[in-house]
Amino acid sequence: MSTDTSIHPASAAAASWRTIDLMTATVIGVAFGVAYWGWSSAYTALDAAAPALGPAKGLLGGPWLIAGVVAGLVVRRPGAAVLAETLAAAVSGIMGTQWGSSVLLSGLLQGLGVELALAFFLYRSFRVWVAALGGALAAAFETLYEWDIYWQAMSTTWKLGYLGCFVVSGVLVAGVGGWAIARALAASGAIDALPAGREAAEDRAGREAADDRAE
Amino acid sequence: MFDGLDLVIPAGQRVLLAGPSGSGKSTLLRAVAGLLLTAAHGEKSGRVLVDGVDVDRSPPRAGLLLPDPSAGVVAETAGRDVAFGLENHRVPREEIWPRVDGALTASRFPYGVEHPTSALSGGEMQRLLLAGSLVLDDPLLLLDEPTSMLDEAASGQVRSAVLRHIARLGCTTIIAEHRLGPWINLVDRMIVLDAAGNVTADGPPQRVLTTQGAHLIAQGVWVPGEPSPEPMTVPGSLVRPWETPPDGAGELVTAADLRVELAARLGGRRTEPVLAVDGVHAALTAGRALAVTGPSGAGKSTLVAALAGLVRPTAGRLLSHPGIAVRGRREPWKWPAPCLAARMAWVAQLPEHAVVARTVLDEVLTSGRCCGRERDCLQVRAEGLLELLGLSHLRSANPYHLSGGEQRRLMVAAAVAHGPYGLLLDEPTVGQDRNTWAAVVGVVAAARDNGSAVAVSTHDQAAVTTLAKDELALQHGRRTR
Amino acid sequence: MSRVRCGPLSLLAASLLPIIGAVAVHEAREGALALLVEVLALGWLVRDLRATAVRLLFGMVAALGIAVSTWLYSGHDLAEAAGAACRILYLVLPGALLLGLIRPSELGDHLAQRLRLPARGVVASTAALQRLDALGEDWQTIQRARRARGLGMAGGPVRRVRESAGSAFALLVVSLRRTGSMAVAMDARGFATATDRTWAEAAPWRGSDTALLLIGFALALFPWLLD
Repeated sequence: MSTDTSIHPASAAAASWRTIDLMTATVIGVAFGVAYWGWSSAYTALDAAAPALGPAKGLLGGPWLIAGVVAGLVVRRPGAAVLAETLAAAVSGIMGTQWGSSVLLSGLLQGLGVELALAFFLYRSFRVWVAALGGALAAAFETLYEWDIYWQAMSTTWKLGYLGCFVVSGVLVAGVGGWAIARALAASGAIDALPAGREAAEDRAGREAADDRAE
Repeated sequence: MFDGLDLVIPAGQRVLLAGPSGSGKSTLLRAVAGLLLTAAHGEKSGRVLVDGVDVDRSPPRAGLLLPDPSAGVVAETAGRDVAFGLENHRVPREEIWPRVDGALTASRFPYGVEHPTSALSGGEMQRLLLAGSLVLDDPLLLLDEPTSMLDEAASGQVRSAVLRHIARLGCTTIIAEHRLGPWINLVDRMIVLDAAGNVTADGPPQRVLTTQGAHLIAQGVWVPGEPSPEPMTVPGSLVRPWETPPDGAGELVTAADLRVELAARLGGRRTEPVLAVDGVHAALTAGRALAVTGPSGAGKSTLVAALAGLVRPTAGRLLSHPGIAVRGRREPWKWPAPCLAARMAWVAQLPEHAVVARTVLDEVLTSGRCCGRERDCLQVRAEGLLELLGLSHLRSANPYHLSGGEQRRLMVAAAVAHGPYGLLLDEPTVGQDRNTWAAVVGVVAAARDNGSAVAVSTHDQAAVTTLAKDELALQHGRRTR
Repeated sequence: MSRVRCGPLSLLAASLLPIIGAVAVHEAREGALALLVEVLALGWLVRDLRATAVRLLFGMVAALGIAVSTWLYSGHDLAEAAGAACRILYLVLPGALLLGLIRPSELGDHLAQRLRLPARGVVASTAALQRLDALGEDWQTIQRARRARGLGMAGGPVRRVRESAGSAFALLVVSLRRTGSMAVAMDARGFATATDRTWAEAAPWRGSDTALLLIGFALALFPWLLD
């Protein structure tokens, strides 16, 4: 007696998280948390060096949004982006950044921004423009909060300029950049057990088969 | 991986699963544990029954040790880590701690429940993970090359902990290994898989060895009583230093009274500095190989990395021969990376840490490009090395897609292709099958014979004997021999 | 300095609630008063003075940066700038004082047992967090390997950024490749089905937690009352 079971992750109950999904999202969160911490330190130096940057400071914000985009695109389950982005913020906060525990709030908002974009496409499309939309929304959510805290005294023009710069950065650095990182991860074979990696692995296998036929 | 595999293992049996790297030993263990779905995808047909129950319906209670123990540790403290399985199986809190204490005592774990897991050595971690399985009374114990990354002393301790564990629980045990010697007398049965995943022999260990010994050796399995493989013959033109070392550069780098303190530092969290190397004298000599030996944690890796110009000494002298100084600077750790790469090569213990390029060929060419070697010559050497090491069919593959053994050979090729004066390697043979062992040792020996200065940190006695005339034994950072 | 033991949830709440108050800090004088109250209200909990001082220093640099920006772009108004600095410090101070007191594993216990967050997600997060040290070692090895290959941190800012990105990607790949083994090892210990699990450590809520929570609420309200 033999039962045929297909054991690729796509057929696993879509809503339930496997351990590998959880660990991938959390490890992405922790690894980017360290990177966020590093970028915070660099940002402090830039801050001191160029106070005259003005609203263009928003352009430097994109890197803090990447974890959510990457986790969302790699794990492809509702909640992955929020989990990874919040955890990344928490790690950078534990290591100590200039923004104290407010990073947790930022992380949550940014993660929700990405999550909203993925939910809008019902977690079925993970193309570059979905990632870009995620980056844009994450940047917008973060800016609305920053307006009230950091930039209270600024003019509306200044605030809008900052929003525009942050969104551009979110789209390019976090959206397109995060999408490129997810793709590179899939190509490296590091996430073969996840849907994104599985697609890439099947493409590779397909190409190799075609090459073999050509020879 | 497998096609039509049928096996029956009676309760209480101890089975040694032997086969070359890539024959599916790990996959089979994961199938038995009902964990195929956990971290892989593919098509499966057929069933695995443990105690008559299909593992896909209800995963069996099976302890599992993996080659890299750090991947199995989940908690900050030893006690909490052992408690992990109990928590998952909904054991009430009042029962958890007595059982954890009992398991830690029974497995003779040397520290208390509050001991931080980050301070454990690899061997201690494996013993902790054994306690984590013991505490669950798992009737099945699955060991996937549990000692392949450990030194001899730690391996022995893990093996005796396994034996005590089996004796205590009487559990059915399956051990997957490609180094058979230490286990062969401890098992009742041996199953041999070939490279395609077929069972080629199954029976009492000694009988299987007599009939299958030669076949296993040919496939790279370490068979007890068999001498180490003959190192691969490597033409000097592929490995010799790009330029002849400057006049009389016999002693390429010398360390005098070297002291290195390492502060594991990640962001704002700083741990107390650890004294890794203390008052050591050493020299890297052209045409000779130095073996740095000692138990794990003795400072071998740090010393070799310091000689390679990758670690800044805390005190003492570390100077190159004046003839290879960079703009008058003789301290290797101060050299810019491209100048360092032209003079010294270093191979990390885990090859995946060292991947810098997108294709196998680019990986081998990277260092040579960085230090400005002539392109055609570099290309010829790189292609020659890939051919020799059996990697040329993979030249346009992504380095991350290679198997562990292939990656190891690739990184050794990448270290010698651009012809540095010094070649330094961190545990280059650990966990390797006979074929990769012969390839790595062959390249290193050829580099030495053609004028490179070699240093290897290792606990592999066969590699020491084959490669090095000089041995520097360390203990707690100090030289003992 | 302090012997009082507060649980992670009240510490977290007390470090987050003042964000609400910070929104209402506008002027230097009331800002300074609010800051003084905040220091008095939370300062007694601090244990490691040096680490706290380092965290505070970071916060002061951020506050200074924002103050300078505000001064430049709000018509060189010094009072506005000082107000902005106070607002940022009011926001940052609680985190600098309290975040260092939270132990990740303890926070996990409390998040799962008190706040009823999904157990497996919480455990996976703490398991990933305890790999922070291993991550540091991986990072060091990657840097050594890249330097030995001739890449390494050197040269102009563009090269440095590219090199950091290369190392960071390598670290991500190494970490993610290991998650497969981690997941297998965890599932072998029954984690796959552990949606409803027990906890080896309790998550007690003490009187001191209630007190700290009230302080947090007070700090959220105080600047609004001053306003």
